[in-house]
Amino acid sequence: MSSPIVSIKGLRAGFGPTTVLHGVDLAVGPAEVAVLLGLNGAGKSVTLRVAAGLIPAWAGTVRLGGEDVTTLPAEARVGRGMAHVTQGRHVFPGLTVEENLRLGAYTLRRRDRSRYAAVLDSVLDRFPRLADRRRQLAGTMSGGEQAMLAVGRALMANPRVILVDEPSAGLAPAAADALVETLRGVHRSGVAMLLVEQNVTFALDLADTVHVMRQGTVVHSAPRQRVDQDRLTAELGIGRLLKGGTR
Amino acid sequence: MRPARRQVVVGAVVIAATVLPPLVSRVAPGFLDELLALRLAQAAAFAAMALSLNLLMGYAGQISLGHGALLAVGAYTSGILTGRFGLPFVAGLAAAAVLGGAVAFVVGLPALRLRGLYLAITTLGLLLVMQESILQIPWLSRGSAGVALPRPVAGDFVFTRNADFLALVLVVVIVLWLVDANVTRTRLGRAFRGLREDEQVAASRGVDVARHKLLAFLLSGAMAGVAGCLHGHLLRFVDSRTYDLNLSLLLVAVVVIGGLGSRLGVVLAGVGFGLLPEILRAITPAAEGWDHLLGAALLIVAMARHPEGVAGAITEARHAKAARQARAGVAESAPTEIPRLPELPRPAGAADRPAVAPGEALLEVRDLTVRFGGLTAVDHASISVPAGRIVGLIGPNGAGKTTLFNAVGGFVRTASGTVHLGGQRIDHLPPHERAARGLGRTFQRVGLARDLSVRENLLLSQHAICRYSAVAALGFLPGAARTEAEAGERADLAIAAIGFERFADMPAKHLSGGMQRIVEMACALVTAPELLLLDEPSAGMAPGAVENLAIRLRDLRDALGRTLLLVEHNVPLVLDVCDEIWVLHAGRVIAHGTPDEISRDPTVVEAYLGRNVPAEPVS
Amino acid sequence: MSQALVAGVVVGGIYGLMALGIVLVYKGARVLHFGQGEIGTLALFVAWWVVDERQGLGQPWLLGAAAAVVAAAAVSLVFERLVVARMVEASRLAIGVATVGLLLFLFSLELKLWGASPKYLAPPIEGLGPRVAGLHVSPTQVLALVSAAAIGLGLTAFLRRTDFGLGVLGAAQDPAAARLVGVPLARVSVFTWVVAGVLAAVAALLVEPTIGVFTAGFMTRFFVFALAAALIGGLTSLPGAFAGGIVVGILDQTVQYWSLGVPVPGLSVLAVFALILLVLLVRPQGLLGRAAA
Repeated sequence: MSSPIVSIKGLRAGFGPTTVLHGVDLAVGPAEVAVLLGLNGAGKSVTLRVAAGLIPAWAGTVRLGGEDVTTLPAEARVGRGMAHVTQGRHVFPGLTVEENLRLGAYTLRRRDRSRYAAVLDSVLDRFPRLADRRRQLAGTMSGGEQAMLAVGRALMANPRVILVDEPSAGLAPAAADALVETLRGVHRSGVAMLLVEQNVTFALDLADTVHVMRQGTVVHSAPRQRVDQDRLTAELGIGRLLKGGTR
Repeated sequence: MRPARRQVVVGAVVIAATVLPPLVSRVAPGFLDELLALRLAQAAAFAAMALSLNLLMGYAGQISLGHGALLAVGAYTSGILTGRFGLPFVAGLAAAAVLGGAVAFVVGLPALRLRGLYLAITTLGLLLVMQESILQIPWLSRGSAGVALPRPVAGDFVFTRNADFLALVLVVVIVLWLVDANVTRTRLGRAFRGLREDEQVAASRGVDVARHKLLAFLLSGAMAGVAGCLHGHLLRFVDSRTYDLNLSLLLVAVVVIGGLGSRLGVVLAGVGFGLLPEILRAITPAAEGWDHLLGAALLIVAMARHPEGVAGAITEARHAKAARQARAGVAESAPTEIPRLPELPRPAGAADRPAVAPGEALLEVRDLTVRFGGLTAVDHASISVPAGRIVGLIGPNGAGKTTLFNAVGGFVRTASGTVHLGGQRIDHLPPHERAARGLGRTFQRVGLARDLSVRENLLLSQHAICRYSAVAALGFLPGAARTEAEAGERADLAIAAIGFERFADMPAKHLSGGMQRIVEMACALVTAPELLLLDEPSAGMAPGAVENLAIRLRDLRDALGRTLLLVEHNVPLVLDVCDEIWVLHAGRVIAHGTPDEISRDPTVVEAYLGRNVPAEPVS
Repeated sequence: MSQALVAGVVVGGIYGLMALGIVLVYKGARVLHFGQGEIGTLALFVAWWVVDERQGLGQPWLLGAAAAVVAAAAVSLVFERLVVARMVEASRLAIGVATVGLLLFLFSLELKLWGASPKYLAPPIEGLGPRVAGLHVSPTQVLALVSAAAIGLGLTAFLRRTDFGLGVLGAAQDPAAARLVGVPLARVSVFTWVVAGVLAAVAALLVEPTIGVFTAGFMTRFFVFALAAALIGGLTSLPGAFAGGIVVGILDQTVQYWSLGVPVPGLSVLAVFALILLVLLVRPQGLLGRAAA
């Protein structure tokens, strides 16, 4: 594997007296989709939020394209090519679709305003639904459309890697399917992705690499084709349900 | 402090407050001249005002930006009754308390619907109404600018001298202090603080939230009336500008600086601000006339450096060591083992509780529907829970499990359906009455009053079974004292059961997440509820602890015949521990049966894993 | 009656300006800025000191107004940098109390520097003014109306049209998401507090001529009315705050007009208070506000 876009080493973090991450190690290669799986409370979302700079790291490092960004604020990481689609798809509900996209390009417009129009066109090409609704307030759109907008807004920063936190949560199956297709398209265009997902099928659909977390550490990492299935089902606590087994 | 010793201390303080000021001012007037006596009395009255606001804001969490309005009620009431109608001071004081309480009660009514800043701004509006309208009614001040308040008379003795009046003010402030102390050591104060931290949690522990909000306003208003009365008689004349916005906001500042909810901190901050000119002059004569400016600057600096207030800083320091221990010692993130959970007998005062034979339906939910706007979260769901069993409720994210829980607990409005507990219909009852009928629950996000200690949380949880009146609480009458002692014993038994003696007096927020969960379960069990609803009890627990949890839950069922209903993501745990399972998907019940039946049901597997999942998910 | 209506719209526009500041800070920091009114009063004192011929510098009104705005901006900037910016982790209540500290500090400062006697600031334009549709509209009123409308529209345009303005709006709706697209929250915070201070200064300059004289604490009553306006508008809606200001202004002035001779004091305050209660109880999120989650 060539040098990773994102590399996380020995990451520890938590809230108040509670340690959530006990030394997380993982890496995301260029144009790779890495998926974090694990039970509730395993620390998947916290890993993502520390990587994005929303939660301070207590120890360990986060590198972005080789540069140590562990102590950089979240807004500075965006400018260096790391975009984040948060849990719950936080679009700006009181702004229009186009205003949301323009804010997504906040750092791009400051660096190189001339590229804005091209990036906007490419994002609107990718999301025809958004192109139809440029003037609509984001808060009035459906959950699926908001999810698209959140991804589109992240792409407006022209990122090298996108962190995506539980994109399918709360979406109707059809919307989730559409979102998988969208993310697959983003992947094909060469953007790396670090994805946290509860829906195992959804996650395995997209993944190049799977990382399984438990109790704040990564306990199993493997390319999708070589995932230890017994291990995966055991970690996710769905083994017996799947095999129709009993106690 | 032991009761006998407490009485001696209180007696000594009262005697000192009564005797010292008049004596010193006569024997050694150099130490206590009339100006200093005035300043001291003002500071004491200011402390009384701060105590009043602290009760409302510090304990019950209801912000009042217009407390001056209540002070004005107290001062005007007493002034008119004593000055114009010649009633004795005591009558003025009593009337000030009653009217202050009554006005505050009315001000509190919107609090049943409004929260936070919205309520705060209405109190501010009331202050302006009081200043510009009510206090301007000509009858009140008889055309003059304000109201004169004569100094009290006792027989032939008139409290003309400030030093004599200071003694009177001090005695009243001591009484207020004692009443306030009784509030905090009884169910009243715990209910206030419980609703401040989380109304839903408080209600699920049996606290009537609406009633206690109004009680907090009433008590605070009565204290404000008394404080205003003292202050007015001290100044001898007040007008509509005496109790203005600046004073009201300064009081808020004093309460925050003293530390929300800290009696001593708030009194010290009140006295400190009252005496600031004296203190500054003692430091340097050049400070003369700069006291307000320096005081305000001090306020800003204090807030910027210690946002938790004086008391907050002290508490943090006191508990820092214990908190470090908790962090480093017993459990860093989550305990690896769940201790024995408290198995306490049913309390004596639980007459409302249903009696159901094992195996018969204890909880019966029929045709329940809950809608949020256009979304149907629970869709005509019917489930039943037999007494003495452990029943699981599972389903994928968003299936409506927690909403169903909340509907059973009384926290969401149901569109249709009924809920029966032990044959009694409970779906029309408010949450606290359901708790009184033996419904206990835990919360997904840990339902504890974070700022209360472990022991206080266990006492708060007994709210429904600690039955004595508010009056008994305020006077700490024998009935209240006895009930408190019993509740204390129960709390200590629960603490001993879970082995948390070392953390009994530590604020719950300093415990690790896993430890908080254990305390929460102890809280839910301390009243020995008939039915315990557990919302994701294993969330964030180590795998070892989860296995252990199963043993503990079975203990509860087997040792005492407890009935449990749990919502869980951890399917192995549910399959392991439950006698029967209900499966919810998109708000509907899609399956019901024994763990064996459920784990073989293809519709369940499909619902759980999303779309069209093959028997083996990974290709 | 119509005269009262005109006065109501004028005063309402001024309440609206103050309310815009309140809502900006509230949206940005979830804090009520109690010092805002007194920043306006301080600005008035500065303007008076620059303009007044006997006790001050005797400069033209416009220079005084400019100095007032600069002073308000400077005080706000210093307060934001030295206090608010250092209280990121503090409770919102603690920051609110710090703004109370600012209120009391400025109040005491004004008393210390300029004393308690009322000050008179000459209006920018003298005279009776034009008659519009049979009504007298004084030049002061015209100035107030035009300035309030211009500032309201200008602020809206800035917030909607520039990237930074959009960032300010976005940060108010979702600070975490704003950080994640790269909006510098520290600069957004400076902007909101300074704009709130400047709006208070402008409101004070515009409202003073309708009263004539001022002392320390002059803006308190206007601040409370502006708060009522913001609340009626929903506390989070900028157009709502301005509309709320107009509603409160008209109610205030018409009730004052009708209650001349009625022996119940302070009827207009009562009416505004009743309106607040009514709006809150019927529609707790305000007329144009979004329901809090």
